[in-house]
Amino acid sequence: MIEFKDVHKWFGELHVLKGINLKIDPAEVLVVCGPSGSGKSTLIRCINRLERIQKGEILVDTMKVHDSKANMTKLRAEIGFVFQQFNLYPHMTALGNVTLAPMKVRKLSKKEAEDRGREVLEKVGLGDRIGHYPAQLSGGQQQRVAIARGLCMRPKIMLFDEPTSALDPEMINEVLEVMRNLAHEGMTMVVVTHEMGFAREVAHRVGFMDFGELMEIAPPGEFFTHPKSDRTKLFLSKILTH
Amino acid sequence: MWSFYIEQLIVSLPFFFKGLGMTIAVSGLSLAAGTVLGFVWGIARAKHVRLLKPLLGAWVDIVRGTPFLVQVFIIFFLLPEVGIQLEAFPAAVIALSNLSACFICEIVVAGISAVPSGQREAATSSGLNWFQQLRYVILPQSMRVILPPLVGQYVLLIKDSSVVSAIGVVDVTRVGWLTVQRIPQGLLVFGLVAVLYFVICYPLIQLSNSLEKRMSVSYTRGKE
Repeated sequence: MIEFKDVHKWFGELHVLKGINLKIDPAEVLVVCGPSGSGKSTLIRCINRLERIQKGEILVDTMKVHDSKANMTKLRAEIGFVFQQFNLYPHMTALGNVTLAPMKVRKLSKKEAEDRGREVLEKVGLGDRIGHYPAQLSGGQQQRVAIARGLCMRPKIMLFDEPTSALDPEMINEVLEVMRNLAHEGMTMVVVTHEMGFAREVAHRVGFMDFGELMEIAPPGEFFTHPKSDRTKLFLSKILTH
Repeated sequence: MWSFYIEQLIVSLPFFFKGLGMTIAVSGLSLAAGTVLGFVWGIARAKHVRLLKPLLGAWVDIVRGTPFLVQVFIIFFLLPEVGIQLEAFPAAVIALSNLSACFICEIVVAGISAVPSGQREAATSSGLNWFQQLRYVILPQSMRVILPPLVGQYVLLIKDSSVVSAIGVVDVTRVGWLTVQRIPQGLLVFGLVAVLYFVICYPLIQLSNSLEKRMSVSYTRGKE
């Protein structure tokens, strides 16, 4: 479904992705963790070309993402993206947020889009908040609207860039719950997160990134009990003990 | 003596109103053209169009860094040298439109860059094209930043329009000049001119103030 072939990226002098090779299957949930600055956010931002790569190739469903001829509108319509800071449109209600792209990109009628919008907001537990503006919602609710915004496009892939890092602790679970349900429905997901409980329970594979390299990738059982590289061990010992 | 002059002035009132009409015509046309042009330039500058961006930047700096009276003279007296002959009225409208476009361009650039980059990223990743992002996500949010100074700019534009009387446009300032030759009471005559400007500018100043207040309220419409 998604394939990285020797992907390199530089920010100026800084080599942030150093030859990433990775294959993600349909309906797979991949969790990527690693210290800040390790390149994990950049990794998923390259999948829908929010970032350009300088070398290598990324394929989504056989489509070359970084080819200048790639139809990005079509590609991005198939990939939902959830940001750490939610990035909801503050001038639109929850319903307005989730229906904008379906109307403008998928060309649904207002009615179709709103029916679909109500359905996805219902699904993330916000059926009673459709007329609220982002400023009137809690962080956890905003992030669930953001997930609904992605889902309203009926994407094939959902990407999550530290979706719970900006949330107060008591709101993390409501967001993870939505993601868990999504995973069980068979959505292909790439999740950058430090929520190791979620990784252990939901992920099919967990990857560890450091210094722009994918150091290790394994099913959670193996990843958490027998990490191969020393850096993975060190990282896990740091984040699992607190 | 005063009552005689005031009587004279009252007799000349229709002349002043005609001048006021001209001021409104020049300002109104320039305001419309300057707004359209200012938005187009501002959006082009914010989009980082190669070549266009530095060119526009240079143009805006030149216009903002030279006296408006000089710009009016260049358009009216120097363009005919290269074969472009303009009547006073179109010359005035062109000069004033250009001036306001340059200031509005800066306001628009500031408004667009005030929208957090995450907004554009969210819109991009949902597949909206550049125009759709601008139309539905960026501009509606920028307008909160743009509107108050934009209306303030209109006030400046109306007042700057008095400069075009120098090339013979018979606006309200020019009417003042002409009248003061018959009624040698400068205070009285230009007092009236000032009042007429104030009458059209004051509602705009109020509008700008109230927009400023309204726009600074966060997005919470519909809250019970």
